[in-house]
Amino acid sequence: MSRAILCLFFVIATSVFACADDAATFSDDQIAFFKADVVELLTNNCLKCHAGESPKGELDLTTRAGILKGGESGPAVDLKNHADSHLITAINFESFEMPPTGQMSPAQIKTLTTWVEMGLPWPKDLHEIEFELEAGPPPVNDETKTFWSFQRVQLPSVPQVADAANNAIDAFIRHRLTDAGLHPSPSARPRELVRRMHYDLLGLPPEPADVERWAAKISSADGGLNQSGVAELVDHLLASPHYGEQWGRHWLDLVRYAETNSYERDGAKPHVWRYRDYVIQSFNDDKPYDLFITEQLAGDEIREPTPDSIIATAYYRLGRWDDEPADPKLAFYDEIDDIITTTSQTFLGLTVNCARCHDHKIDPIPQRDYYRMVAFFKNVRRYGTRGNASVLDASVTAINRPADPGIYRTALTRYENDTKDAERHLKKIEELIWDDLQDVEKEDFQFDMNRVPIVAKREGTILKAPQVKTYRKQFSRLQQLKANKPSGLADALCVKEDVRNIGPTHILTRGNPHAEAAEVTPGFPTVLSPPEAVIPDLPEGASSSGRRKVLAEWIASAANPLTARVMVNRIWQYHFGRGIVRTSSDFGFQGSRPTHPQLLDWLAAKFVESGWSVKDIHRLIMSSAAYQMSSRPNKQSYDVDPTNDLFWRFDMRRLSAEEIRDSLLWANGSLNAAKMFGPSIYTDIPAAVKAGQSRPGSGWGNSSPEDKVRRSIYIHVKRSLLDPLIESFDFADTDQTCPVRFVTTQPTQALGMMNSDFIQQQSEIFARLLQEKADSTEEQVTLALQRVVQRQPTPDEVARGLKLIETLKTEQNLNDDQARKYFCLLALNLNEFMYLD
Amino acid sequence: MTTRNFCGRTRREFLWQAGAGFTGLALTSMLDQDGFLAQQSVAADGAADWENPLAPKEPHFAPRAKNVIFFYCYGGPSHIDTFDYKPTMYGMDGKTIDVKTFGRGGHKNQGRIVEPRWKFNQYGECGKWVSDLFPNLATCVDDIAFLHSMTADSPIHGSAMLMMNSGRVLSGHPCLGSWVNYGLGSENQDLPGFVVMLDPRGGPISGSKNWSSGYMPATYQATVMRSQGDPILDLSPPEELANGGQRRLLDTLAEYNQQHLAARQDNSNLAARIASYELAYRMQSEAPEAVDISQETAATQELYGLNDPKCSTVGRQCLLARRMIERGVRMVQIYSGGAHNDDNWDAHGDLENNHNLHAGETDKPLAALLKDLKQRDMLKDTLIVWGGEFGRQPTAEYAKGSGRDHNSYGFTMWMAGGGIKGGTSVGTTDEIGSRAVDDKFHVKHLHATILHQLGLNPYKLSYFFGGLDNKLVGVEGASPIWKAIA
Repeated sequence: MSRAILCLFFVIATSVFACADDAATFSDDQIAFFKADVVELLTNNCLKCHAGESPKGELDLTTRAGILKGGESGPAVDLKNHADSHLITAINFESFEMPPTGQMSPAQIKTLTTWVEMGLPWPKDLHEIEFELEAGPPPVNDETKTFWSFQRVQLPSVPQVADAANNAIDAFIRHRLTDAGLHPSPSARPRELVRRMHYDLLGLPPEPADVERWAAKISSADGGLNQSGVAELVDHLLASPHYGEQWGRHWLDLVRYAETNSYERDGAKPHVWRYRDYVIQSFNDDKPYDLFITEQLAGDEIREPTPDSIIATAYYRLGRWDDEPADPKLAFYDEIDDIITTTSQTFLGLTVNCARCHDHKIDPIPQRDYYRMVAFFKNVRRYGTRGNASVLDASVTAINRPADPGIYRTALTRYENDTKDAERHLKKIEELIWDDLQDVEKEDFQFDMNRVPIVAKREGTILKAPQVKTYRKQFSRLQQLKANKPSGLADALCVKEDVRNIGPTHILTRGNPHAEAAEVTPGFPTVLSPPEAVIPDLPEGASSSGRRKVLAEWIASAANPLTARVMVNRIWQYHFGRGIVRTSSDFGFQGSRPTHPQLLDWLAAKFVESGWSVKDIHRLIMSSAAYQMSSRPNKQSYDVDPTNDLFWRFDMRRLSAEEIRDSLLWANGSLNAAKMFGPSIYTDIPAAVKAGQSRPGSGWGNSSPEDKVRRSIYIHVKRSLLDPLIESFDFADTDQTCPVRFVTTQPTQALGMMNSDFIQQQSEIFARLLQEKADSTEEQVTLALQRVVQRQPTPDEVARGLKLIETLKTEQNLNDDQARKYFCLLALNLNEFMYLD
Repeated sequence: MTTRNFCGRTRREFLWQAGAGFTGLALTSMLDQDGFLAQQSVAADGAADWENPLAPKEPHFAPRAKNVIFFYCYGGPSHIDTFDYKPTMYGMDGKTIDVKTFGRGGHKNQGRIVEPRWKFNQYGECGKWVSDLFPNLATCVDDIAFLHSMTADSPIHGSAMLMMNSGRVLSGHPCLGSWVNYGLGSENQDLPGFVVMLDPRGGPISGSKNWSSGYMPATYQATVMRSQGDPILDLSPPEELANGGQRRLLDTLAEYNQQHLAARQDNSNLAARIASYELAYRMQSEAPEAVDISQETAATQELYGLNDPKCSTVGRQCLLARRMIERGVRMVQIYSGGAHNDDNWDAHGDLENNHNLHAGETDKPLAALLKDLKQRDMLKDTLIVWGGEFGRQPTAEYAKGSGRDHNSYGFTMWMAGGGIKGGTSVGTTDEIGSRAVDDKFHVKHLHATILHQLGLNPYKLSYFFGGLDNKLVGVEGASPIWKAIA
């Protein structure tokens, strides 16, 4: 504000004050009323907008003079005509409607009205109501650009410490511990470490014999750990195909992997499991992370797309899809928002999504940057418009063309004939009932899920029982056929663009899709620029705009300050239970700061140097003394650093939902770990849970007994119906990117682990295994405990189990089999089974 | 750059919401600062209770209601055939008029009037007009505030149901009951804090998405309670353990777990897990007692219509709802209608058959619930909410028949008890009920009203997720419907 205007303002304010307010003395009661009731009301309801240097409508309500002077519409209060004052009419919703979020309570309105009628009592010594304006969005400038996570990664020098232990990680950690006067905890016991390492890398426990073998291998003569043995174990585990299942699942959490669309139909996504398999295989192959990024974001736009790189682009198809949105334009932008949220948080640790309606309130990300990011994805076709055919058209493509045209032609002909035959049968029956269908049924009939119930409803009237039976049979035959197209005709879920009309992208005012504002072009967040995005010209015959590739290359670049940091931090988190940056998907201003910034940068630099090898980072981390520390308490360290910010010990963790299910199937010998990949499986979901569906059982199949006991990563992820055991132990939210799972403790978990059909069955199987493998009850108890906690139980522990079995038999009249079964159930409920040291 | 505090959250909430869920021990010491660990170390010896995340919490201000029963009419009941009296429509049947509608059949500018199919009469001191669909409930109008000017963002079941339950048309957000449990906890730790009862014909579309805790921990999601058989999933221990065997098993389990804990005393999660088994054990005895309707007098059973096959299912659910809130369950949601089409209020085909069926099933039990709560002096503390995801259009959906398409431009809901002003009607629709005209309210205002009556400030009840302070009523907030509040 220039001095001239300031002076003018002062003069006007003073003069208004002087002439309008000739009775400015108030009683103590009136002043008390103002202080007790009015200030809070104004503060909570009005000042957010009507305060500060540029109040809305130029109306400042923090001073009495401001109220009397008013704003663009004139004085807010007319002391001569209270009832017609703007302030009074506005809060009664008679002129303006204030506050805009909704009317105040009648009591509140009365308070303000009384205050106005009193003539605005105001303490003499109060110039203005103190009000702390919310800090505005941080600008993009030289200062905000210096934020730690926006700086390019430099390899830091490794600090010199007295006892450098195993590798540079320890130097960084011990340096900090020494400064704080703390000592690192001693090494974990070899058996504990063997168990920890198996679960961390494979999500599965070791065989009892393997525990002994590896524990011996990693023990050194002096009672410590033999590092070459540890390194050998790490390599052994990294070579296991189950490694990809465990670490792939972490990735699936981040990309909110699910296999259905949610909403009314919650339909299955075709071929989506290929993406899950792609992720597992990529981890097993140690695919360079930069390539992993590029394939998912732009696998169709790279120079030589492969079937795998096309499958990877199913990344864009994993989210929710409302197939009949009330506002299609809003749905279009909601879907892009879902992609932006997932992409910016997962790869960059930035909450760009917060800038959809206005500038980001915490980070220097203006709204314009959000829409510049939208522009990268604007041409991506919606997952579908409505119905299965639209999905096949927009999101499915054929991969793996057949090598032998002859074989392929024969198979194709057979497939087509069979399909036609099944369709002919169906059509015949459908024609019989078509005229009987109500209009609403006709509409429903376009969705596969509704057909059988609608036809079955006519059994006994238009249709005879055998006809309905035929319909059911042919319907499922057709489904089977479609799901098993002849080899060589494989399809993949993938991204597709519409390049016929690449339209402009606009900023949307307050995020409203119907309020287009300035046009923008694709661009990276300004605070991270340069570099600038350079979009290539569309080549003749191109099937996509090439924009996503530009974004992918920028993200997957060694020069990007965030990408490598964010990923090594995630790897660290999945090993240690928390990231060096605890908010692993938010490296912005609101995120927590790294507890060991130099260590984070050192790891990020090493990651890039290794050619973005995730397995190399595992090797580095797991060979550190920090990773190998005991988790036992230490009061002295705890008192100084209760949150273990300094990594003075290793933190215990509970098994994840999948680890719990896989481990209990493993303990009783029934886990089918050998079968990997392929379409998802269906576990037994109790009828009581399916009763929550509008068509109980709809969309949930029945797998073979061998398939039902496969690893949990292969269970069909249906957004509206999850396996109850998996869900109750804090499975990742299927609708939003999940960087850290909750660990809740609830009585319903205990009920499921004690009483569910599933746990009862598994305990029985466990008991039978014990009977097969051990003769005496004592040996059976010993073996059961070994298989759940991976150590030799103490005599006391065995005796306790024997005592329970005896009590159940004598006191409760249970037979041997029953008593054994319930001891097994107990074993599967042990804290030591559920928690890793 | 400004430094920020925890935005009104406790350190515990902040860390939890910031993604520290994984880090048991980081959390442990944060909890310690709230004096939590001190309690835990007592709990670890098995002598004291462990603090449940659902433990009762202080509201923001003095509440008018302690509990909520949300009676959800899935499918969308027709407002002009129930509580929104449109006298001028009688005699207009079959007349084609210009009217803008939007339903599953898309946007239309014209339609054939379907005259309300039931007569209306005046009831109560307030003289409220109610249709013949609800003769029993009509005698309670002096306790009810009707909201005639409700609007919602979507006239399509999937997204509209999510909006009514979670405030958003997008799947993945916590539902009202989750917010209420997050804000207030529950009074009775031996029962779930949020209970959903379903229509035996099937759940609503999108199933569990309607009672999901979304991005909040599963602690806050609903427990589905059945009115027949085992009330809660996995509640009953196996037969052969029922007579003390399970107690033996749990005692032995606790011995193992205590021994394991001894060397890990500072890990409160281990102690919490030990305590959760005791809680589950108590739930096993508490829940069957809570659903034991045989404890009710014959007169009460008669009142709820348990002897009338037409309404005995809903009657039982309403009676169970009363018994639940009596025992401190914070919120109960009952679904009237399930599955598809005429199994719920979605009257696309024959309006009369559909609404006669569903109103017939619910009229007597609803009236009983209001009267029973009132005579027990519980109505003043119990907020009852009635309504569906939207209403229905004044015009026919198809060329033939009386079926009405969906209408989110204007519809009726009602509230009673819990500080609600009985005998009032708020807002209006136009003369054929096609859209809200005066005092238009949105679903978020309904949610704000419910939170407000429970002593929660709808602007302040927030949960940090994905970089944002999320609120049930949306980023901009929403005020309660003051005119409906006593």
